[in-house]
Amino acid sequence: MKRLIQLTVNGQTRDVPVQPTRTLLDVVRDDLGLTGAKRGCDLGACGACTMLLDGRPVNACLVLAVEAEGAEIVTIEGIAAGGRLDPIQQAFVEHGAVQCGFCTPGLVLATKALLEATPEPCDTAMREALSGNLCRCTGYVKVFDAIRAAARRLREERTCPVTPS
Amino acid sequence: MATATIEYHAPDTVEAAVALLREHGAAARILAGGTDVVPALKYGVVGARHLVSLKRLGALRRLEVSADGDLVVGALVTLADLASSPVVRARWPVVAEAAGQAGSPLLRNRGTVGGNLCLDTRCWYFNQTEAWRASRPPCWKTAGDRCHVNEGENRCVALFSADTPPAFLVAGARVTLAGATAPPAGRTIPMEALYTGESLKPVALGESEVVTTVTVPAPPPRSAAVYLKHAVRDSLDFPVLGVAARVALAPDGTIADARVAVTGAGPAPLRLAEVEAAVHGRRAPAADDAAVARLTARTLGPLFLSDGVPHKRAMAGLMAAEALARAAAAAGEIR
Ligand SMILES: Cc1cc2nc3c(=O)[nH]c(=O)nc-3n(C[C@H](O)[C@H](O)[C@H](O)COP(=O)(O)OP(=O)(O)OC[C@H]3O[C@@H](n4cnc5c(N)ncnc54)[C@H](O)[C@@H]3O)c2cc1C
Ligand code: FES
Ligand code: FES
Repeated sequence: MKRLIQLTVNGQTRDVPVQPTRTLLDVVRDDLGLTGAKRGCDLGACGACTMLLDGRPVNACLVLAVEAEGAEIVTIEGIAAGGRLDPIQQAFVEHGAVQCGFCTPGLVLATKALLEATPEPCDTAMREALSGNLCRCTGYVKVFDAIRAAARRLREERTCPVTPS
Repeated sequence: MATATIEYHAPDTVEAAVALLREHGAAARILAGGTDVVPALKYGVVGARHLVSLKRLGALRRLEVSADGDLVVGALVTLADLASSPVVRARWPVVAEAAGQAGSPLLRNRGTVGGNLCLDTRCWYFNQTEAWRASRPPCWKTAGDRCHVNEGENRCVALFSADTPPAFLVAGARVTLAGATAPPAGRTIPMEALYTGESLKPVALGESEVVTTVTVPAPPPRSAAVYLKHAVRDSLDFPVLGVAARVALAPDGTIADARVAVTGAGPAPLRLAEVEAAVHGRRAPAADDAAVARLTARTLGPLFLSDGVPHKRAMAGLMAAEALARAAAAAGEIR
């Protein structure tokens, strides 16, 4: 039986009719048309589907959409502000941390949650935070370079009030 | 998912959840973090037609130390919150360690303590898609009449593989349940009694019962505990084996109390009473103590290798000796 639920995705609340067994990933990709989060394993084992649920990165392929009612959902489409990439996205681009790109939305969102909780993570914390997100291309070295650069940039943004043009 | 007929309920109180479970009986399934239920739905191995979500039961999210000094963990506390809690890390580090090693950070943000304790048993031939399973006749676990792990086996040998139970077991945890069919409606049992020892129905809950809290007593003086996990990868993998040990030392440095528990080596998480008794009153074993290793390997009984790891029995012995040695060494540093 379909139910009408309210989903708040990237700050926008909408009514969506869903079957109770459809996942947040299915609904966001197939009904809302936000295809940034990827369907990899569809079983919680790759992280390609990562979304932030009340600020925490989760496997959207394992969250039933009905369970996400009332939560703040952020997808990769929701983090660039005013046409400017999020500093984490920018750093991934600049450091060659994107190859095929399938894992990238998940890695970026997992990084976003990490840097919000731990603005200056050590290497162990970075590895740990990304250990649910598989990347088959980069070998992670450039990903970690990008995270270090993003952490630096975010620190500068916090301490220096001048926004780069 | 062959699931168009599933109905979803999100009751506001434990009583309402119990009432729904009672009403729908075997057709109902509790949904906590969903990190095991949702894959099972996708695999088509959940017969339930009603999902009873616990998400509105705020009372099950508490994580606190009681006036008696016990750790009280609500069933809906996430593994991430348990693993990062400063008080758990300081006073029950073995529990935080085990919780912090389950799955991945993403899974731990959703996966709950209640779901971890009540995790279904796993098997190579069971945790597979419908298409994959269709190539063989159904096994015991999918309402069939055979075991593909051990041909001719007259029962299911799927393994219990959750990470936190061994840690909770050596810490002496008790589990509080709501919704028993016979009054009194609530009951508290030692965690050992939560398990049936049967792969087909590993958790000893009545149809309308819900785990509400886990209570862990303060550790004894001069004691320490560790959890060792052996898995294929450091992240995202269930334990091939997990061994927890707690050792309390007497003033003369001998072992006053020892507890060892394993996961991944049977249909339930197991306390190894014979091993515990064998080291009692003695000096701490060395990390490569052959006698402890042999005894552990023997007490495990028949080991069905339903995850295809032939060296498991030997590994369990080595890990038990190492866990005891490490726990004793850590306890020895406490003055
Ligand atoms: C890729 C992957 C890797 C994983 N790796 C690990 C691992 O290494 N270690 C590990 O331990 N687990 C692992 N898991 C399993 C799972 O993520 C965790 O065990 C998690 O803690 C389950 O909790 P949950 O709240 O998501 O459970 P759910 O899926 O919601 O429920 C699990 C079971 O418990 C029952 N249940 C839930 N809450 C209650 C309650 N309060 N009372 C009674 N019954 C209840 C449900 O009905 C269901 O049968 C993994 C899962 C995946 C997908
Ligand atoms: S698609 Fe969700 S974890 Fe792989
Ligand atoms: S860039 Fe291809 S999987 Fe990561």
